[in-house]
Amino acid sequence: MAVPVGVVVAVVVALVLVKVAGGGSSTPTAEPDRQPAPAGVVTAVTSVPASVLDTIGAPSGLTPPQRLPKATVLTKDGKPAVVYLGAEFCPYCAAERWPMVVALSRFGTFSGLKITHSSSTDVFANTRTLSFVGSSYSSPYITFDPVEFENNRNGPLEQPDAIQTRVEANFDKPPYSGIDGGIPFIDFGNQWSIGGPSYNVQILQGLSWEEIASQLSDPNQVLAVGVDGTANIISAAICQLTGGQPAAVCGSPGVRVATGRIPGAK
Amino acid sequence: MTALADAEVGTVPDWSPPRPSLVWLTVALSAAGLGVSGYLTAAHYTSPSLLVCSASGAIDCAKVTTSSASRLFGIPVAVLGLVWFVPMLGLSLPAVWRSPDSRVAVARLAWVTAGIGFVVYLIYAELFVVGAICLWCSTVHLAVFLLFVAVLSAGLPQLRR
Repeated sequence: MAVPVGVVVAVVVALVLVKVAGGGSSTPTAEPDRQPAPAGVVTAVTSVPASVLDTIGAPSGLTPPQRLPKATVLTKDGKPAVVYLGAEFCPYCAAERWPMVVALSRFGTFSGLKITHSSSTDVFANTRTLSFVGSSYSSPYITFDPVEFENNRNGPLEQPDAIQTRVEANFDKPPYSGIDGGIPFIDFGNQWSIGGPSYNVQILQGLSWEEIASQLSDPNQVLAVGVDGTANIISAAICQLTGGQPAAVCGSPGVRVATGRIPGAK
Repeated sequence: MTALADAEVGTVPDWSPPRPSLVWLTVALSAAGLGVSGYLTAAHYTSPSLLVCSASGAIDCAKVTTSSASRLFGIPVAVLGLVWFVPMLGLSLPAVWRSPDSRVAVARLAWVTAGIGFVVYLIYAELFVVGAICLWCSTVHLAVFLLFVAVLSAGLPQLRR
């Protein structure tokens, strides 16, 4: 008995040692974990043409938000609040940040956006993404309140504020999220939530930030359909909080179609 | 002394089943493996509502099941695990362990050997293809390994008679 068991143990130990020693799957050359987003990437993501967004609409393959059982709209600084809970290691958060920036840029302005990538040792490794860490957002319509709990090496990063803590405690759990404290989790004024990636994360694999950004303005690209379609859905949810303002965004064909995907939307 | 002489004096038993504790261990491991495989199968087929990471920083984002290595010949690995544990549970039942038919022992040994071989492949896939460890999957792998050890320790004496 000892011999066959020993052979199995030896093989598994050998696999682990080879992996630890650096063999196996390739990883990209060392990149800074987080750095300022290139101007070209920022421009492409924050200025997706309205015509492209309207062409894409809200395809059926995208996951819509869920209705939250709360009557009072969550506000911060006197405006409806959009709360985001995430972490830089998380590949699903990496995917969701792209449409979030596309959508939020229609209601306000980002500054200080960064680029980073998801964990190198997890599923969908090294998914290129944007990061909200160290950025700011200003809008006359909403307050955007993001938090990234950990960096892409699972090290501690940011602590949640009181509003984020309440959102996590009240709603970041089944059935609104796959697990307790699941990320990404987006709370739209305590009225709707998104708990998980809205489109197929596989679409982003192997692409650089520049490649992702450049495809957002081509409605024939599968990536654009996923990201921009999700951005329309996010925009539609925000429009429910802002009373349909700004009219140019909330009245656009793409957002009107996406509104039909928002449960209980007016 | 010849075997006939041994039988005449009754000093060598014809066959004896393994210890009850070992038998029930194989039952428990098979049942546990079946349960976890069932969960992984459900997770594989469930919609994106389960595609989340843990904000507390788990080792993985629990989504090895969505990787390219999650299917073999088009069949989800989770389903293969489920299919493996059903007969393994049957082969682990006390009544089946008591069977003096050596073919049952051979089948049990062959089945658990196939299982451990597949587990080694899955560990390779986790380390070198997916690049992530699935904790639930590792639970199943451990159950199969322990079953391998248990069957070898209890089953080989049956085959030597």
